[in-house]
Amino acid sequence: MENLQEYLPFLIPLAVIQAGLMLASLIHVLRHDTYRFGNRPLWIVLCLATGIIGPVLYFAIGRGDE
Amino acid sequence: MKSFVAFTKKEFTESLRTYRLVVLAAVFLLLGVMSPLFAKILPELLSGVDLGGGIVITAPDPTAMDSWAQFFKNVGQMGMLTLIITFSGIIANELNRGTLIILLTKGMKRHTVILSKFLSASVLWTASYLLCLTVCYAYTEYFWPASILSNAFLAFFSIWLFGEFLIALLIFGGILFGNLYGSLLTCLGVIVTLSLLNILPYVQKYNPIALAGGTLSLLNAQKEAADFIPVTIICSVMAVSLLVMSIVVFNKKQI
Amino acid sequence: MTNTLSVKGLSKSFGANKVIDSISFDVPEGSIFGFIGANGAGKTTTMKMILGLLPSDNGEIFVCGEKVSFGATKTNRFIGYLPDVPEFYGYMRAKEYLQLCGEIVGLDAVVKSRRIAELLDIVGLSGVNKRISALSRGMKQRLGMAQALLNEPELLICDEPTSALDPMGRKEILDTLKQASRKTTVFFSTHILSDVERICDRVAVISGGQIALSGTLAELRTKHKSNSILIKFASAIDKEQFVSAAALLMKDVKSVDMELTLRVTDIEAAQRVILRILSLNDILPLKLEVLEPTIESLYLEVAG
Repeated sequence: MENLQEYLPFLIPLAVIQAGLMLASLIHVLRHDTYRFGNRPLWIVLCLATGIIGPVLYFAIGRGDE
Repeated sequence: MKSFVAFTKKEFTESLRTYRLVVLAAVFLLLGVMSPLFAKILPELLSGVDLGGGIVITAPDPTAMDSWAQFFKNVGQMGMLTLIITFSGIIANELNRGTLIILLTKGMKRHTVILSKFLSASVLWTASYLLCLTVCYAYTEYFWPASILSNAFLAFFSIWLFGEFLIALLIFGGILFGNLYGSLLTCLGVIVTLSLLNILPYVQKYNPIALAGGTLSLLNAQKEAADFIPVTIICSVMAVSLLVMSIVVFNKKQI
Repeated sequence: MTNTLSVKGLSKSFGANKVIDSISFDVPEGSIFGFIGANGAGKTTTMKMILGLLPSDNGEIFVCGEKVSFGATKTNRFIGYLPDVPEFYGYMRAKEYLQLCGEIVGLDAVVKSRRIAELLDIVGLSGVNKRISALSRGMKQRLGMAQALLNEPELLICDEPTSALDPMGRKEILDTLKQASRKTTVFFSTHILSDVERICDRVAVISGGQIALSGTLAELRTKHKSNSILIKFASAIDKEQFVSAAALLMKDVKSVDMELTLRVTDIEAAQRVILRILSLNDILPLKLEVLEPTIESLYLEVAG
């Protein structure tokens, strides 16, 4: 990839959204201890390692009822 | 009417505080950025790859149509999946936990619940979809200026309509089974059935699933708007019937 | 006196299981009506039919003179309902939830904010700004009470409002009910009989799907007037002396430690005889009491 410069308009927003989601879900996982299913280690791994899929799954169905 | 406004307001508060809104916005924003990126990066990654025996892939330069092809593929798959997952509990969670009982005994009509939920989910879906579309359009125009889009409105409308159909389906499944899994399985079941039916050539033209992935052919003028009119009507009618059935079933339901 | 709630010949079966078998009762305006029954006796089922949440098999229900029909819950505008385990939206605050309820009922803005402030004060939640998910069981029950009273209902229906609470929480709920009853008719179910004796003026006991007993508390007390007398002695010698002296009265006796409980046919005549024997033998009892029937004894009699 010789012309990384050309991809920066894509990569910056992608990185921001990705990191934002990851951070938001991670903070939520760490601040709550009840989950609809799974446990804390599982959700930490999923949120960190699966791109946007982990955070989306966590917020949509993994998050416990408040 | 007052209770409709109040309940709809509650739905938006719920979407905000249960992160539904954030997740939808983030995912669709991401899809909007990713689609042109993939269109641009894939040929570069592939070209020059030596398959052995002197066969070297030479990928043509990407065009705006490649970007839109990625858009339809991403929204049609990841986008729809996200939509299904975020709205799977829209009615099921309330029935499951019994949170509607107090409000219904306050004299709120049952059809208010269904219509209000459909409206608020539709607003969220429409907003996220428009966000995705705008972002993708901006990037595409920037890299491949002045590209010609035929039937643009119908092409972009059809995948939105399919999303509306999915929301109606999730509500119907939730009402029918009263739990998350019932709602999810109803929705997935219908999608699988429609996909299987799509094997039959004479069904394809009328199958709503065509709206989820097949409208690139409209955009690049391989097909005409008239080819998609029947399926658009069928899909709309199905969505409305699902809502009507949901109301009928809910009115008879013991909660 | 008009009846706020009137149930006539109500029946309900789940499959082959007849839960409610043709019950009838009236709840007059202004009363606090205790609906007593064991767990699973059909109390919640009856309430859900009154609210139009469950269809009945037979019979009619009238709320404020209007007939209740399943599904179309028009009569619910007269009713405030507190379910046995009220479920709220955990992401809201107590005040926000009451605002939602107020808007659904259609209160206008000024009345709404005044009522909400009043009610939060009555149930002791005015200073609480936590999300509902963080509230204790007792606080949730009190929030439930507040939402039920929001539209100043003619009829307040509470399903087991005290059963899941600790003594302090129970007292608070009972006090709120008592206070509410100045403005509204209260119909509440319970299996805790001391609650009934504390605040009810009318009761109905449901057992085996039927009303086993009903009436005002005073009526029931006289109708089932006890014919027992309890005597507590200072010493075992006194007790023995009394037993031998009053042999005629010793037909139906329960003897525990220093106490004697005598069941007699004519309570007044028996009292005279007892007093005479006591004074003749120069016995000073610690206690001499005509036993009042308790709700518990009545309940055990009909449902036991």
